[in-house]
Amino acid sequence: MARKNISFKLKNNISELDKLGRKLNAFGEGIGLSKKCMFQINLALDELFTNIVSYGFPDNGPQWISVALSHDNSKIRVRLEDTGVPFDPANAQTSATETEIEACKVGGLGLHLVKKIMDKITYQRCGEKNIITLIKHIPKS
Amino acid sequence: MEILETKKDDINIFKLNGRLDSNTSPALEKKLMEAMESGARNVVIDFENLDYISSAGLRIILKTTKDLKRTEGNIVLCAMQDYVKEVFEIAGFDSFLTIVPTVENALSKV
Repeated sequence: MARKNISFKLKNNISELDKLGRKLNAFGEGIGLSKKCMFQINLALDELFTNIVSYGFPDNGPQWISVALSHDNSKIRVRLEDTGVPFDPANAQTSATETEIEACKVGGLGLHLVKKIMDKITYQRCGEKNIITLIKHIPKS
Repeated sequence: MEILETKKDDINIFKLNGRLDSNTSPALEKKLMEAMESGARNVVIDFENLDYISSAGLRIILKTTKDLKRTEGNIVLCAMQDYVKEVFEIAGFDSFLTIVPTVENALSKV
């Protein structure tokens, strides 16, 4: 498979999830990624993006969030950049899964999913930027 | 996302089509709330045509399950894509939710 990269920007608005889904589909189809793998990358980016939109910009002004994906034969690398308040999802507390329904809380569930479905998540604060990097190994078919 | 709501005997069936995320989950929440306010106690959600779910979607399913438990109702989910089912498992929701392969299974279980 040839190496292919894409990058794009999203506004800090939840309605941009549609654009995120379309961009990821085009990327995934271009490199012949399985539906499951595409879904998982979309889910991870959705959860992180939704967090940034919900909590990253308390004054709610228009902002841009950058997404870049690159691919080689064995893995997908995703880079997400925003200029919101510092937040480290790699070390944030996630919800422990509960087996009793009444004990089940949903706070932190999104990040729990991200950590389980991606192989690696790293965070850096660079000046005014949050930079999150995700790695997903592509299962051999 | 499209939500097709039908009724069979005393069972309210919601067939989802498309993507269930932070954008679309309020519409599903509203439909489910309205049905429960109108007396729905047995709910089946058909995932056959659902391509995508995020934690926002899981949140609505959890809330509905809790609401129905309070009114001694039931909820059964069916016909999920494998990768959608896996998200329920990672979240631990499969321990208290009934998830079955087909809508027929769901109608007999609820």
